[in-house]
Amino acid sequence: MSQTPSAGTQLTVAEKVFDFVDERVGLRLLTAKMLNEAVPGGSRWAYVFGSILLFIFIMQAVTGVLLMLYYVPTADHAYASTQYILHDVDYGWFLLSYHFWGSTAMVVCVFAHMSQVFLWGAYKKPRELIWLVGLLLFALVMGFGFTGYLLPWDQRAYWATTVGVEIMDKTPLIGDFLARLLKGGATPGQMTLSRFFVIHVMVLPAALIGLAGLHLFLFRCAGPGGPFRGTPQELKAKTDYFFPRQIWKDVVGMAVVFASICAMAFWEPVVLLEEATPDPGDYHPEPEWYFLFLFQHLRLKMFSGEFGQFLGAIAFPSLLGALLIALPFIDRSPERNIFKRPIALTLWVLFMVSILIFTVSAIINREFLD
Amino acid sequence: MNDQMSPTKLGLGILWPAFWTGLPIKLAIAVLFLAFGIIHLETRIALAFLMLLTSPVTVFALPTITMGLDSHIGEGVGIALLFLLAIPIDIWALGVAGRTFFLERLRREPPDGLGLTLWWKCALVGAIFVPILWVAESATTDFSISVAQSIFETGFLEGTPVPERISIELTLWGTVATGVLLLLFGIGFSLVGRVIRGTVQSARHAPENYEGLITRWDLMRVPADQGLLLTALSGVAVVLSLLFWSALPVFTPHPHDCCKKEEVKAVPAFKPLETLNKDEKMIAQLAARVELLVEQRAKAELEKERSKEKGNTGKEEVKVPEATEPAPPAAMKP
Amino acid sequence: MQPQLKSKVRCADRDVGEVTKVIMDPLSFEVSHIVVSMNGASERQVPMGAVQTVMDDLVQLRSSSSEVLALPPFKRDDYVTLHEIEVPGLEKHIDVTPGEVLVPLPELERNVKRRKFFANLTYVMGLFIGLPLVYPVLKYVMKPMFAPFDNQWQKIGNVGKIKADDTGTQFEFKHKVKEAYLPEAEIEKNVWIVKATPAVLEKVYQGKDMEFRDATGKTLWTNKKDIPFIAFSGKCPHLGCGYKWRKHKVLGPVFLCPCHVSIYDASGKVIEGPAPRPLDVLPIQVTESGEVQIIDMEFKAGTRVQSRMV
Repeated sequence: MSQTPSAGTQLTVAEKVFDFVDERVGLRLLTAKMLNEAVPGGSRWAYVFGSILLFIFIMQAVTGVLLMLYYVPTADHAYASTQYILHDVDYGWFLLSYHFWGSTAMVVCVFAHMSQVFLWGAYKKPRELIWLVGLLLFALVMGFGFTGYLLPWDQRAYWATTVGVEIMDKTPLIGDFLARLLKGGATPGQMTLSRFFVIHVMVLPAALIGLAGLHLFLFRCAGPGGPFRGTPQELKAKTDYFFPRQIWKDVVGMAVVFASICAMAFWEPVVLLEEATPDPGDYHPEPEWYFLFLFQHLRLKMFSGEFGQFLGAIAFPSLLGALLIALPFIDRSPERNIFKRPIALTLWVLFMVSILIFTVSAIINREFLD
Repeated sequence: MNDQMSPTKLGLGILWPAFWTGLPIKLAIAVLFLAFGIIHLETRIALAFLMLLTSPVTVFALPTITMGLDSHIGEGVGIALLFLLAIPIDIWALGVAGRTFFLERLRREPPDGLGLTLWWKCALVGAIFVPILWVAESATTDFSISVAQSIFETGFLEGTPVPERISIELTLWGTVATGVLLLLFGIGFSLVGRVIRGTVQSARHAPENYEGLITRWDLMRVPADQGLLLTALSGVAVVLSLLFWSALPVFTPHPHDCCKKEEVKAVPAFKPLETLNKDEKMIAQLAARVELLVEQRAKAELEKERSKEKGNTGKEEVKVPEATEPAPPAAMKP
Repeated sequence: MQPQLKSKVRCADRDVGEVTKVIMDPLSFEVSHIVVSMNGASERQVPMGAVQTVMDDLVQLRSSSSEVLALPPFKRDDYVTLHEIEVPGLEKHIDVTPGEVLVPLPELERNVKRRKFFANLTYVMGLFIGLPLVYPVLKYVMKPMFAPFDNQWQKIGNVGKIKADDTGTQFEFKHKVKEAYLPEAEIEKNVWIVKATPAVLEKVYQGKDMEFRDATGKTLWTNKKDIPFIAFSGKCPHLGCGYKWRKHKVLGPVFLCPCHVSIYDASGKVIEGPAPRPLDVLPIQVTESGEVQIIDMEFKAGTRVQSRMV
């Protein structure tokens, strides 16, 4: 169990280095505390999503740094340098497509992770803070998607940003200021590109690293929730440590996600449209798929006019956000079994179904535009 | 314990973990095939993923669906090969998932060859049921879509704006289609559960207490020769990576109009037979020409001789064939 | 109240020893057992259910001493200390401070061989993710590193500019480059031309024509040994600085590099300083009207043998 080598055997170099550091910083205690955390009810495949998100983020950072070797965030060369990556740099198309589909995988896994926490009742006492920091991380992931979308500087990028910033502009009081702050002016241009670039590669990653660290720290303080049912005898029999069985499951999950992203990169590699201009030509502006449901519901009649627009673009999403923030404080019953929380289950199903319906509606809606 | 488990629960309890157990390996192969370009998936990639995930039951149903019902998930030999390779993987996955389920949930001794038994039973049920499910679901979807559309064509709803209409129609037919799909899935899992119930009932009860069962199940996952398995797996990782590297296109397979590579590098492919035939023809032609020239020269010589015999009168005529001296090397460019 | 370490343990009939360890249940955070040392002899693990009352320094058991003795001996290997495991929040529930507080080692973690297996399997799975990326990423990064050489002749001016024999004259020229996705641009570069007397010429060519080859080994150009114009690359062969033609107080007019004071004579030979090889001679063409053309080459600095970079 303990990592002290049995007496009489020769120490390897690695063991000597480990002992050297341990003597000075207490590495043995630290690794024990980090890795030997008992998981109530045992390691599970269902618990892999948090680690997968960390993995996707690291891969996004690695591919992102590689892309920055060739990409320049200037309005006159952003498009050309992205095309250069796609057409001239060896395997550049693959790394760019991986980065693109990695962002989609991130959004999918964030939804899975949040749904799981919701359904498992894992946001309840004593884990409220983990939930709140998690919501911030969710906002950051969406921010990554929104800012990264502009960088290739093609028509798709330009128009998604134009519409997105217009939505932000509808916020009462500070909307105009916020929109100008992001755009660096009245209309999207070089200043917008610079700002989005620096937010995408500096501000958001720094914030995400900090908040993810806090998220993990808070998680370690509260400990894993474990399954919401099972007799103590069953839980005890299946209990094991975070390392190695949960980590091994996590890494298999990562491999599956890695393979899926690669498959998507082959199936639909990134292809840019024409270079961005304020003339859309034949192009029908549309945001990335995970914003489609928001985009589609703004087409409804009830959200037309200035007030309707405010309702659809600002009030409803804010209300939803506020509800999510307030969730652990509204729902204070300690019951975690989702089958004994009918309201929570119904709300989750309704929310997911409405996202699905509006996303698919947006896709069907394309037929009416040609 | 758990002898009264419903067949739906039994089917789902074994199939669900088995689906996911086999997936990582199948996915790795799928990625490799995609890199090699022997699979071209169409727009329904989610369906392709689902088919691959559920390959223990779709493996025999897929040919029926693609050929019999004329709706396919993609092109290329890779798909057939992938589903063929999925068979041993699924047998293994069903074995692992089945043994775990037998020990942990049913507390029974898993019989020998459990994976193979479960696999042929699942595949058999799937071969019959999945095409039925496919037909029933498509018919339901088509029917509910047409009904939903006809509702909106009646007079009083005609003024509905397009976005509202799309979403309401989608909700209407989506609810029906999803309901039927869930029902069919339930029936399918229940069928699988019924088919494998015999195997369950013939299995002996396991003697240990719960903790002992879990420990045995955990030990079951560790191979006798750890080093061998780990080395073999590392070897597989290396081989797969090498294959991946050799298959991965260097530049984008979908170039943009702006940046198409210049045609300079488009050296016509060397086709040995064609080139050989062409060269043979050319040689034959040239040979014929040489022969002709030799003949002409011979004639000329003859005439020269004759003209010599006749005196200086024929000199001008002699020069003519010399002017048509052949220049074959220029024509020899391949 | 929780049992204290070192407190006496009294059975229904007599004292049997003292509490040496406390075992916590990691799920309920309650003390589940105490470990009693039987007056220095072997240890027994007594469940809390057998405890009647707990006082400051005494634990009163319900059972008799013979019943306690009949319990199986305490197995230390089935437990871990709080230094070896993380149980969030457990410390807050412990009143005892000194000595060892134990929690049970989970059944699934007792087999080191199995633990090792899953750990190693994790590394192998990591290989499946990392290895496929190695070659593409390497090639991606290497793309601009080994660009082909530009062997175009560059017009750099007229030899009429040269005022005296065996002196360095700087010729500045514009070299057209097309870098990656940027539009074609001109960069300013310079070479030094020397109109050499036969003695200096001999020092440079040593009686042989100088051949220049391209990357495939094909001859690009030959500098004839009796043509008096010599072109030197503007890059110091020591560490790549730009050198000048200067009057040295002791050595007279020389090529002098201001960075590390490498000094070369008019033939490019190192007279003083750290440079490992003479100045790099470039292919040169001079027309009858005196127009000079060179092939712009740069060589790796700091090596004894020339190796072309640009």
